[in-house]
Parts: sequence; C-alpha cells; structure tokens
Amino acid sequence: MTDIRAPQDAAEDESQLAFPEDGRNAVQASAAAATATADDGDGAGAGPAAGWGWFRWAWRQLTSMRTALVLLFLLALGSVPGSILPQQGQDPAAVQNYFNSHPALAPWLNHLGLFNTFAAPWFAAIYLLLFASLVGCVVPRTFRLAGQARMPPPRAPRNLGRLPHSESYAVALPPVQAVAAAAAILRGKRFRLRHPAADEAGGWVSAEKGYLREAGNLLFHLALLGVLVSVAIGGLFGYKADKLIVEGQTFSDTLTALDEFHPGRLVTGSDLAPFQLTLKQFSASYYTSGESRGQPSSFDARVSYSSSPGAPSRPYDIRINQPLNVDSVKVYLIGHGYAPEFTVTDAAGKVVYDEAPPFIPANTGTFLSDGVVKVPDAAPDQLGFIGVFVPTGVTAGGILDSAFPAPYNPAVSLLGYAGDLGLNSGLAQSVFQLDTSAMTKITSRPFLLQPGQSFTLPGGRGKITFTGYKQWASLAVTYDPGQVPALICGMLAIAGLLLSFLVRRRRVFVRAVPAAADGERSVVTVGGLARTDASGGFEDEFTELVAQLSSGEATPRSIIRAPRGAPDGKATTSGAQQPASHDSKTDPGA
Amino acid sequence: MSVNQSMASLSGDFLIAALMIYSASVIAFAGDFAFGRPRRAAAKAGTGLTGTALIDTGEERELATVGAGADAASADGVTVDGSATPADKARSQAAELADAARAKVVASPPAPPASGWQAIGQAGAWVRAGVVLSALGATAHLVAVVTRGLAVHRAPWGNMYEFVTALTCVATLFFLYVLIRYRAWALGVFVMGAVVLALGLAETVIYTAAGPLVPALQSYWLSIHVTAMTLATGVFFVAAVLGALYLIAERYRARGAGRGNGLIARIPSADQLDKLTYRTVIFGFPVWTFGVIAGAIWADQAWGRYWGWDPVETWAFITWVLYACYLHARATAGWRGRRAHYIQLIGFVSLVTNMLVVQVFITGMHSYAGVS
Repeated sequence: MTDIRAPQDAAEDESQLAFPEDGRNAVQASAAAATATADDGDGAGAGPAAGWGWFRWAWRQLTSMRTALVLLFLLALGSVPGSILPQQGQDPAAVQNYFNSHPALAPWLNHLGLFNTFAAPWFAAIYLLLFASLVGCVVPRTFRLAGQARMPPPRAPRNLGRLPHSESYAVALPPVQAVAAAAAILRGKRFRLRHPAADEAGGWVSAEKGYLREAGNLLFHLALLGVLVSVAIGGLFGYKADKLIVEGQTFSDTLTALDEFHPGRLVTGSDLAPFQLTLKQFSASYYTSGESRGQPSSFDARVSYSSSPGAPSRPYDIRINQPLNVDSVKVYLIGHGYAPEFTVTDAAGKVVYDEAPPFIPANTGTFLSDGVVKVPDAAPDQLGFIGVFVPTGVTAGGILDSAFPAPYNPAVSLLGYAGDLGLNSGLAQSVFQLDTSAMTKITSRPFLLQPGQSFTLPGGRGKITFTGYKQWASLAVTYDPGQVPALICGMLAIAGLLLSFLVRRRRVFVRAVPAAADGERSVVTVGGLARTDASGGFEDEFTELVAQLSSGEATPRSIIRAPRGAPDGKATTSGAQQPASHDSKTDPGA
Repeated sequence: MSVNQSMASLSGDFLIAALMIYSASVIAFAGDFAFGRPRRAAAKAGTGLTGTALIDTGEERELATVGAGADAASADGVTVDGSATPADKARSQAAELADAARAKVVASPPAPPASGWQAIGQAGAWVRAGVVLSALGATAHLVAVVTRGLAVHRAPWGNMYEFVTALTCVATLFFLYVLIRYRAWALGVFVMGAVVLALGLAETVIYTAAGPLVPALQSYWLSIHVTAMTLATGVFFVAAVLGALYLIAERYRARGAGRGNGLIARIPSADQLDKLTYRTVIFGFPVWTFGVIAGAIWADQAWGRYWGWDPVETWAFITWVLYACYLHARATAGWRGRRAHYIQLIGFVSLVTNMLVVQVFITGMHSYAGVS
C-alpha cells in the first residue's frame, strides 16, 4: 500500500529500478518536449506520432503517484456531499423535503447529481480514473516482480562496511569455505542466493529475501480492483425488493406481489427466485422499566417458506441480524407496525369489509400509527375512514396519544367519509391515503373504538367494528451475487496489507578475505540492507543473523578476543566443513 | 438480561479513579518537563538538534538506520556497476583485501540495548512517577471497561460514551507500549493529556447510563466490528498526537533554531517522530480496514446490504481514503514530511468528525450514539 510507487525502490539497481520520482518526471518532460517539437513542425505529417506522444504523456500523467494522490483526495472530498445531503438511494422522502424547503438551491444541486452522489457521473469519473491509474501502476510492477523473482540478487558490494548494517568476525577457515558455510546457513533461512560466476572474483555471496512484501502490496491493490468488480457485478445482476406483509398473509417472490422492485441493470422479473413466504406471527418485545423503557428488546417474524412452488414448507424466525436465506436470496426484517382489523356492514346489513389494513407508524417510539380504511363495496355510497391507531392509548386533554409501543391498551380513532373513493379513475392510488375530493365527511368528530366496539354510522349507512389488530412486518428481499467475491477480495486486501507492512525486503552480503598469509583463516564481513523496513526490526534480525553465521561456523567470536587452544579450534573447524561441502554439491556456483 | 447496577456503579467509580490517576500522571510528565534533571545522554550528545536524550543510544541507532535507504542505494549501485566489466575484477580483488584491512573487526557483540524498563528507571523520578501512574490509571481504566461489560452482559461499546471510554483505554495501553518500546515518555504529557481531555468530555458531556442494546446491535458482530474500530481509533489517536508533535519539531528544524526551547529539546527529533507516526499508522490502517470490512459483513446481516453509503459508512470510507493518502504521500517526492503529516491529521479530523458530528447529528442507520 504505502509505496506501490515508492521511491525507496531507488535503492534498486538499474535493472530493477521502479519509477523513482525524479526519473519519471524527467522522462515525462522529455516526452512532452518531443511532442511539442513535433507539433511545431509539420503538423499534418506529425499527426499520428503526436497523437501517440500525447497519449503516452497522458498515460504517464495518469499513472503517476501525484495523480493518484490527487484522485484519492478527490474521492474523499467527493464523498462528503453524499453524507451531508439527503440521498435518493437511502431516503427519497428526505430528498423531496429538501426540494420543498430549498426550492431555489435544490434544482442546482440536483443538476450536479448531489442527491445521488455515489451514482453521479463525476464520482464515477474519479474512481474510474483512480482505478485506471492503479492498473497502470500495478500491472507493470507485477511483471517487474515476476522478473525479479527469476533474477538472482545483485553482486555483493565491495565495501560492505558502507552498508547500513555491517559486522565482521574471524573464522579458522579459508575464505571460500567460510563463505560457503555462511551461504548454507542463509539458504537454510530461505534466502535467495547469488554466488560469483566462474569468471568473477570469488569470496562472496549475496542473499535476498522478502519478495512477499511487494507481492502483498500488489495483492492489496489488485484486491481493491476485485472489490470494484464485485460491486459492479452486484449492480448488474442483483436486485432489491420490499414487501409489507400482514400476519396470516402469503406472498410469492414475483414482480406483481412485491411492493417495490429495484432490479440490477441486467435483471428482469423472470430472474426472481420462485419462493413463497407466509408471515405466521410477528412479535416485538420492549423493555418495560429503567432508562430504556419503551426501547425494543427483540423482534421476531415467524414465517414459513417454501423455496419453490410445491417444495415442502419450512419454518424460520426472521430477526434483525438473522435474515432468511433462500438459495442465496436473503429476506430481511426491516420494519414493523400494526394493522387494526375492521368489519364494515353497509346499510343493507351485508358485511362488505373484513380486513386488517396496515397502519404506518407516525411515531416510532410510541407506535402511534396512521392509516385508512377503504370500503368500495359499501352501498349506497362507498365508505372511507381516516384513522389513528394507538397501541397503548391515553387521552390527555382530549387528545389521543400512545404511551408505549406494545399493545397494552389498543384503540383506534376514526373519521368517516362517504362518496366516491376514486378507485375507478384508473390512476394508481396509495393504500395509505384517502382521496376525499369526491367524498363528504359523515362524522363531525373522530370517534374512538376499542377492540370489540362498534360505531353506528349516521344516516343509516351501517356500522364499523374494530375487531382487533394484527401486526405487519416489512421485508426486504435482496440478491447480490457480488457479495461473496467482494468479501473474498476484502480479505485478500487485508492479507496483502499485512504482508506489505510486516515483511521487509532485505539483502545480506557476505565477503571473506584471508586473515593471514597461510590462507587458513579469514575475516568475514557481513553487510545488511533492508530496503523497506516499515515495521522496524531489521537491526535485531541482522544482529541475530550475524551471531548465527559466526557461531554456525562453530568458531566462537571469542577466538579473536582471546584465542583459544588449537584442539578447540580444530574440533569446530571440522564440524563446519560439513555444511560447506554439502553446499558445493547442491549448488555449484549458481 | 437486566443491567447489573452494582457492577455498573463499580465501573463508574473505577473510571473516575482512572481519570484522576491519569491527571496525576499528566502532572508528573509535565513535572519532568519543568523540573526533570538534565539527561546524561543529552549532555553527551551535545550538538544534537533535538532531544535524542529521550531515545537511548541503542534505540536511536535502530531508528536512524531504518530510513537509510539512500546510503544503501549508493553503496549497492556502485558495486554492481563496478564489477560489471572483467577489467574491474582485479581491482575488486584488490579492494577486497583493502576491505579486509579496513574492516573493523568487532571484538565484542554490540552492547544489547538496555531494556525499556531500565531506561525508565534511569530517567528520573518524575518520569518514573508518570509511567507508574499511567500504568495504574490504565489498570483502573481496564477494570472500568470490563466491569461495564459485565454490568450490561455484552461488549462494552454499544454507545458513544462507552466507545470513547474503550478507545481511550486502547490509546493509553498502546501508548504505554510505545513508551516502553521507544522510550517515548517525553510524549506522555501530550498523549495522556489528550486522553484525560477525551475521557473528561465523555464523563461530562456524553455520559450514558448502563443500559441494554436495541435489537440491531444484538449481534456478535458488535464485538468484532466495534472492537476493531475502537482499536484503530485508539491507535490513530496516538498517531495524531505524534503527527502534531512532528509538525512542531519540523517547524523548529526548518527554522534552524538549534536545540530550541525546553519542549523541543525534550521531544524526539522530527525524523524519529516521523517514523514513529508512520509505524503507528501502519498498525492502525489494517485494523481500520478490517473494521470497515467487518462492518460491511454486519451491515449485510442487519440491513440487507453490505455497503449503502450511510453517512457513517461514508465517513469511515473518507477516513480510510485519507489515511491511504498519507501512506502514499509519504512515498511521493514533494509530499513527504510536513504535507504528509497534515494529511494524516486531516484523516484524524475526519475520524473525529464521524464520531462526534456524523453519528450524533446526522440521521442514518448508525444512530446509536445514545447522546441526547
């Protein structure tokens, strides 16, 4: 993450150089200059070349770190209005309110797409450019890493003392064997090694480790790309639908049965999963004491469902945090409310209405709810009622209110109308609103009913009985095929991040020179270089490594400080030749 | 399950105790600034621009070598070029011998850096008092958080008050680690001061009595998502303090003002602060990323979509992008140093905005702050 285009890589040798900032700018400048001269000259002849030059220039600009940085900034900045202004996708009603309260400003904001920020073309432009920039950087780097993985580490510098970390120790071995022994230990630690070629001066070995750092870095960025693709898959092939369902009702996952349907771009009604669901019972419980009084403690929608027509029906409890999963289509509980039940008998004494229309909570704390009753079959005139339902009714100063969300004292207050409901006008009508334009009020004041009570309508129009109440649940049905890929990519991104932060790419060089004229003893110098040591700790690793290299040769360092007797030295020396010969067998000058 | 009131009041008492002990530790750290004896190492370092005293020699070396890429690069490049031609072979042979002659044979292994504890022991009574008080306060704080959890039978970060309480606990514990690992007690007065401030505000402004959770929060994802967010916020909190100190130190260095006043002389050098900030952020960033992903998984379970640009989600995303900006800026010529740190601080501002403004004042799915 940190340095996908990192200047630390300036530490690379020429062949592995990865875009040092200044170098890249120089290239850009010269490319731009070349294009400019071409344009100044024969315009027609230079056309294609200039076009290519500009393209290359633009591509370089786009894939530069600076551009990526600016685009990241813009991405952050561009997200801000989406959190401040109401958004069409989350809360269309709030957007409408905003239009009403800011009639002058709102249309302008709308032109800028600020009520649908995250689907706005300019927002898409930012993230698509960002991802183009990312691809332009990551792909070449992937190839470069693949190349590096095949190439051996660079030759050991001559003066290891100039490296950030270096230490020396003396051993009772000739230089070649001392280096071979060190190489064996380094190989055991899974370092990649480079030995001198046949025509090169010997006495050294280079070792490198930590390629996973760059691999993790690339993995992280590619995984982000994968997240974007997953989101796109969800947007194309997924869908989201809403359904309000009263206890006892059944619905099938079909276009006509759903209240709202938001399909992905490539989804049609026939793509819906053919399941069927019945709401058996809904229950909500609330805390009844303490500071949390009235706060819900649990919701439970008991349903039975069959995954396809004719399949056996199975029970399930849909709760918050516990959706129903039917063949990767998920059904969520997103809301609930009350549906008071009424029967209406008309003037002729015929029961013309026996339903439980859902009422919408106007106050989600007390569940004081609004709704309407439409009785189109009543004679002589159609009847309509505007009502308020309270689960725990209290009357304070003549005003009906609800004191608690649970149905301890349910009551309903109704206002009656007679006339034409307007259902035959052909226009779609909300089931939650009564169009009273062609109706007359038949009750001067609202009348209050408790379960079981009836009200006789004036003028011999019949009566309405509040028989009880049911509860309803609103369910969201969603299908998102991009979900699992997005999760996998997210996990890969974290894995990549951790690798790139925790692994350090480091090189260790070992050189040995004869310590005396007889060539039987040598001084070994170890140099270390961590190119990116974000989490720190190379110092400790290097110290430990040197200790192992020197003791692995079984030549205690104390030999230098206070040379010991010959027997001691001999015993250890013979031991040390074991790994050395083994090494030369398996790896003859690789 | 009902709230265990005696446990809840125990938690409240411990938190007040922690707040008072923390305040005492701030006074101790400040006392070190005011009256602490001049440091031996500082006297030895003599010409050091900044308070190298605060970072013992062993540590200083470790910190200093991390960024030595440029030196290494030249050494590396020279050698590869040099041995490329056969003509150089003899020369390199000769150079090797010269090397050997020059190579300073280390007669003894480098002295192991004294442990952080020893360093604290040698740093004077004020520092010792500050560290001990901080640790004591952190213990009380931890007890407060745990007993709160026991009182409400869930992870104790279900509302804003509990969240701030938990994240300051994380910040303190993380800082104690940094303090011991990097001998950074000079930062104590700043970090612990910020902790006292945040905790004091939590106690007075957004206090919420122990209570049960709404159904949406009754999920084991609360422990996963909010724990990660708490942890990351605590770590970014420390990073922000370090970044602010960096800007102070860097400004001083840019002015070429020498050793500077008492403050500058005592905080670590700009380079050390830069590295420390970076390491802190790269610890926090994956945790934050994980927290956001865990939140997405939870959102999918609770709300039916894994990402819906809810205001809090949007700001978590903005924060993530800004910290990513910092990490990239740090690797971009012309943006390293001061500019990168400004970005980091903007990232922290967006994090705090999310916590204190968006969650409280903007209605969304995440309106659980419980602040009235």
